[in-house]
Amino acid sequence: MEGRCSVETLADFGFLDASFTPKITPGFGPDLFVLTGSDEVYVFNSEERKLTLVLQFPGPVSDLVQSPDKQLIYVSCSSGVYCVSPQLLLSRTQNHPADVSSGPPELQISSDSLVIGEEGVLSLLLVGSVLLLLSHRDTLWLLSLYKTPEPESSSCELLGSFSLPLVSAAVCDDDEAKMGTRRRPVLICVHSVSTSPSEETLVNSHYHLESVLFKLLFGVDAALAKSPVVLCGLPDGRLCSLPLRLPGSRLRVLHSLEQPVVFVGASVVTETAPGHAQCLVAVGEQGRVLLMKTENPEGGDRAAGFLETCVPGPAVCGSVDKQHLYYSTGSDLLMLDLSEKSSGREGQEKNEESFRKSSAVVHSPTGLKVCRVSALAGPARDATGGVQLLSLSVRGQLQKILLPEERKDLSSHPSAQVCRSAGDLLSAIGDVCERVSALKTAIKSKNQILKHLNQVLNISFLLIEDANTEDQPPKQEKQIRCHTRTRWSRLLQKDSLNLTCVLENSSSFILERGWTLSITVFPVSSSLTAGKESSSTNFSFPFHNLCPGETLDVSLPLAAAGDASFPMRVSCSLLFSLSSLLGEQEVTHLPGLQSSCISLPLNTLTVDWLHVLQVDIKKTTTSHSFYIEADPIQAFLNSHRTEFSRQVETGGREGPSKTEQELFSARIRVSSELLRDMLVSDLNPQGSKSGLCLSLLDWLLSEGPGGGKGGQQRDKIDPSSSVVHARGPNGARVKLTAMEVKVGEEDTGKEDSLSTVDVEVESSSIAAVCGLHHAVLRRIQALMLSAPQRSASTKRLQSLGLRPALQRAEIISATAEPTRTNVDVKLKTVDES
Amino acid sequence: MYQPTCLLNEWMKENNELVNKLKQYGGRDTLSRDQNQNRLRWCSSEFHKLLRKIQGVPPLADGTHLELSVAFNACVCTIAQSQFTDAELHITQAIQRALQATEGDLHPVASDLPAFWKSVLKSLGNTALNSCLLHLLCLQWAVWLATCRLKTIQQFEVDLFSLVETVCAGGEDDRGSKFIGRSSDTPLLVTEPRKLAEFLQICTSITQGAERLAEGLSSEALSGLQKATSLSAPRALAAYVHHLSGSCFARMSCPQMALQCYRKALETDSRCVCALYQSMLIYRQLGNTQAEIQALRLLHSTLLLPSASVPVQADVHPLNPSLLLCSQSLNSQLSVPSALSVLHNLALKCVLHERVSEGVEYYLDLLASLHSEDPHGARTKTLTDMQDHLTDYAKDTPLPGLPQIYLEAGAAILMARRPFDCMALCNEVISTTVELLPERLVLEDPEERSESGTRDVGAEGVDKEAVLLWTGAAYLLLGHCHTHLKDWKQAVTHYTRCINLLVKVHFKKKGFQPQIPSADMVVKQGTNLCILQRLKGLSLAGRGISFTQMDKLKEALRDLLLSVQAFPECVGAELWCGEVLWRLGRKHEAAACWEKSWITKSPVEDLPLYLRELQSGPSLDSTELRQRIQELGPV
Repeated sequence: MEGRCSVETLADFGFLDASFTPKITPGFGPDLFVLTGSDEVYVFNSEERKLTLVLQFPGPVSDLVQSPDKQLIYVSCSSGVYCVSPQLLLSRTQNHPADVSSGPPELQISSDSLVIGEEGVLSLLLVGSVLLLLSHRDTLWLLSLYKTPEPESSSCELLGSFSLPLVSAAVCDDDEAKMGTRRRPVLICVHSVSTSPSEETLVNSHYHLESVLFKLLFGVDAALAKSPVVLCGLPDGRLCSLPLRLPGSRLRVLHSLEQPVVFVGASVVTETAPGHAQCLVAVGEQGRVLLMKTENPEGGDRAAGFLETCVPGPAVCGSVDKQHLYYSTGSDLLMLDLSEKSSGREGQEKNEESFRKSSAVVHSPTGLKVCRVSALAGPARDATGGVQLLSLSVRGQLQKILLPEERKDLSSHPSAQVCRSAGDLLSAIGDVCERVSALKTAIKSKNQILKHLNQVLNISFLLIEDANTEDQPPKQEKQIRCHTRTRWSRLLQKDSLNLTCVLENSSSFILERGWTLSITVFPVSSSLTAGKESSSTNFSFPFHNLCPGETLDVSLPLAAAGDASFPMRVSCSLLFSLSSLLGEQEVTHLPGLQSSCISLPLNTLTVDWLHVLQVDIKKTTTSHSFYIEADPIQAFLNSHRTEFSRQVETGGREGPSKTEQELFSARIRVSSELLRDMLVSDLNPQGSKSGLCLSLLDWLLSEGPGGGKGGQQRDKIDPSSSVVHARGPNGARVKLTAMEVKVGEEDTGKEDSLSTVDVEVESSSIAAVCGLHHAVLRRIQALMLSAPQRSASTKRLQSLGLRPALQRAEIISATAEPTRTNVDVKLKTVDES
Repeated sequence: MYQPTCLLNEWMKENNELVNKLKQYGGRDTLSRDQNQNRLRWCSSEFHKLLRKIQGVPPLADGTHLELSVAFNACVCTIAQSQFTDAELHITQAIQRALQATEGDLHPVASDLPAFWKSVLKSLGNTALNSCLLHLLCLQWAVWLATCRLKTIQQFEVDLFSLVETVCAGGEDDRGSKFIGRSSDTPLLVTEPRKLAEFLQICTSITQGAERLAEGLSSEALSGLQKATSLSAPRALAAYVHHLSGSCFARMSCPQMALQCYRKALETDSRCVCALYQSMLIYRQLGNTQAEIQALRLLHSTLLLPSASVPVQADVHPLNPSLLLCSQSLNSQLSVPSALSVLHNLALKCVLHERVSEGVEYYLDLLASLHSEDPHGARTKTLTDMQDHLTDYAKDTPLPGLPQIYLEAGAAILMARRPFDCMALCNEVISTTVELLPERLVLEDPEERSESGTRDVGAEGVDKEAVLLWTGAAYLLLGHCHTHLKDWKQAVTHYTRCINLLVKVHFKKKGFQPQIPSADMVVKQGTNLCILQRLKGLSLAGRGISFTQMDKLKEALRDLLLSVQAFPECVGAELWCGEVLWRLGRKHEAAACWEKSWITKSPVEDLPLYLRELQSGPSLDSTELRQRIQELGPV
């Protein structure tokens, strides 16, 4: 679609010095002056397309300016500024026509034409009769003003100098600073429109600026003094202004581009003020473009607006015409439209203002597809109306670039613009979408974490409440609790005891991810077995979700046969680790969080000897018909006496040598009335005498730790004899017998006899006897604690008596375990009311 | 053993060649400052190269003299390039090596330089090295002076003054032989130590004097300076000594003595413009207007003299006074306003003191030079100017804004009864400012504004308040011009324009809504608000008078009353108010008005020329008015 530029090579000057900013200056008539960074200045006639003159200077040439009448040129080179008249020289050479074929005449410029002996001049500007030299001293930029010499004198008079401290190399890095001395700062001169009423033609780097903008930028004084203002774009990015004819004026920093200034010019000429630029443009090396315009908001005061935009860089050189900024990136020549399309039409809507501002920013440059341009000379319109640019390529070729017609642009350009902006919009929408979804997921996950945390907190409070009320008798069962079952299993001919722990969630909350069930198992008597290593074992079971009403079963090996000491305590707690609230990534960022967790105790259970008995299986299984003869009337009659007695006798025989025959036994006597009250009610409602013994044994063996059903089976008990043979965890054989005894008849002969149930424990192992004795006592104590209130008055007394007995038994069982000596234990407790 | 001496000879030859080359260049003083700098830079690097060569071998007793001489030369060049820390480093290094060679013991250079020098001076005694070390001490002195370490110099005062004596005495002795006879076997020095020491002494006296003066120790400063008058010194420096003495007297409120000293300074060096400026200030202080104007005129013409040919001392060392005289207080003593500022002052003074036609001429000169092609920026005036631009700008009473000068000139021209010229000037101001006039403006209390520190000046430097007040004043002057031409209608138009402009301004006090300033506000003098009220009063009065002339008495009375209200000090408005009342038949009120206007009022100072009541319009004869009152008789 786009028309291509026609590029025509006019001349070749060889490769250019890369560190130098080349320059093309249109001169007198068709003449062009070309600076390439060498010692020479080439004068090229663009009509005849040939080099007409080569001026050879004593050092590398840095800049060149022309006098307004185009008769003289001032050339700065390393040793100073020279003033020569090329016309005169040319005519002189033409008077002696040498060999025409030998090429252009070369002229050596002698030191006679040296007018200013200032060294290291980087940039020149001629304003009227004042020659400005910009040079770089150790720590400053020095702008010296010289009066141009009168025809008869040969040197310039120094009028004054201005200095500006060098900004440290923060902007340009080191290697750039080294070559920075060769980079030519930009010097231009701006005139206010009213200053030069006659439409005098301006030489290069002189611009007319609309008066309001001029006043706004440079002050009323400069306008009133009709002073031209020198603008100076420095390689450190600063844009400085200096009113030339104002007393007390000094270099003032107008703006800082923060990148080396490569071009400063004035542009945007509208029909309303023909010939007067309404916009000052400065271009930075990295493509920052500064537009300075008058801002005239509705109802407000006029002010100078500094508008910074960015165009694709790097900018190597630039040039402006009435509407456009041309700049080269080295790989392409770009054209930026500075005029605002809508600005021509007056009386637009108010909101057009803001649009205009933004549109000026958005304006993207058009590529002209000419590469390697390193210097540009002002665009000119040729006879046909085409725009023509002169350029110097990196390879030193002088080129004439004819821009494509200003054309169908009107149709193609907007559509391309629309396409581009549509694409931009789409991609912007995509970006926004992505961002929104990312935010959404973040919010969602946060919500989930909050929900999770809420559950955790609820559960925590629940458990803490439970823990606090533990001292009081529990009104209702804990909502989250643990109970256990024990089971013997035989694996590889080795018996081992497994504990199955059941976590029951009867609360209304879900135990979610992050919870861990922690179970600690340790022997009750561990304090006395100090010689061994601390034998507490810890098990953790992380789990995922436990909904209300669900249970979690976990099994853990409690002990292999023979190497554990019972009773054992099982302490359950729930752990919640805070790190599970967050994702893994967040956790790694917060190392302190990884170890932090909440620990909430659930309940503590005891696994005693009764729980771990391995009951021998009976060959005959009898029915439950025994229980049928239970007589409620008899039971009632017996119950009116509240006397209760119990006797425990342990008989032992001397002679430790006969170990096999040796049997230790312990007897516990319980009031059968109590048992009936407690057991029959929940075991079998009929209740009978023989049934009572049976149900007592059954109850002893069947209840698991923590209230769950034990692993023992009722049908393993011999119903006829109410005797249970079993094996203890240490392998010792144990016999558990329950029988009903009338205490009153035998002992006192009183008519009110007390019917009791004796539980006898018999074993050859004293440890087994002690353990079982302790276990049975424990059970009965628990039974009495939960006995109904009606018989409380007496039963509490009995229980008080029972507690010391239990303690003693505990101590004995503990001492008996390690020593295994032959001990006679005789406990006798008779409580009378 | 042959080789070292041979090397030493080589080095000595090299040194002497360099020195000769430098002196040769120095002979040609046509070179610019810039070229001088380049030459110095080159020499400095050459000397340093040589010094590095010499210091490449371990310290030798034989070579010490040469080494110290070369170090001296190198450091002189370094100091001349204002690289003081480098110079200091080289000096101490050279001395350390020298002492190592002769005594074998190392003097540690602690961070404490004075202590180092104390130890060096104590160990002096070796006569051969003595002079060389003293030369280096001279350079150290120069560094201290250039970096304004006066306290350190005071610590060494005794040493330094004895140093001057010994150096001077030593210099007298072997000077002839050194320079003529054995130039090949003695290392030459870039500058003569005797002169350097003397020079340093006078510079130290001047700087110390200025510092003491700034600290308010005038009498101490004076005694020090009077001692310094006996020293031999370049003309410019001697003039500075006199000048500073004068300043001391001025500070001690002895204006006549001060004037004597300034006169002496001028006699010593006719370019000592600062003395002229200071005498002008003293005349102003004494209220001697004629002398003040005379001094201003002289000052202006002296400043306009071509100043390029500051005489270069032929045998001068590379260290110039501006390098060493860098104290801030000295600079403030020596600074002088620019020629244009002096001219403006002169013109204003003339106009204010009944020399209007002369003043007008000066104003026209000023405008002409403002429009000349020459840039006025930095003219090289005195040596201090080249140093620090900052102090220059801080001290220099800057020229008022260009529009203000235009308006002052316009007022002066109108006073000289040239209304058309005045109109041209005013029109120019208006055409420049009219595009920048704000739609409305809120004046803030200047005290509050100074607190917040922000001024309504955009980055572009356009002060909207000033623009508005300038334009208003220009309209006012235009009105006056038309009044002068008795073109009442035009006058009314322009006064009205002024008034219309002024009512756009609202005044904002802290915590209040912006309001149109009213008469009962306390108006501080010199503020923009004061100018605004004054402008309002004057323009209303002008319009009132014009209405009176057009026989629109009602409007005239309204305007005149408003004017009196806005600006009670306005005499003309009250007089004319009475006149209008008289014409309206309210004769007793008129008499009261007149009586009131004759009560002397505190004169308003500090107002621009164009805001004063110009006697350009129709006037009322007060004797005639008194007569009328008498005729009216008592009420």
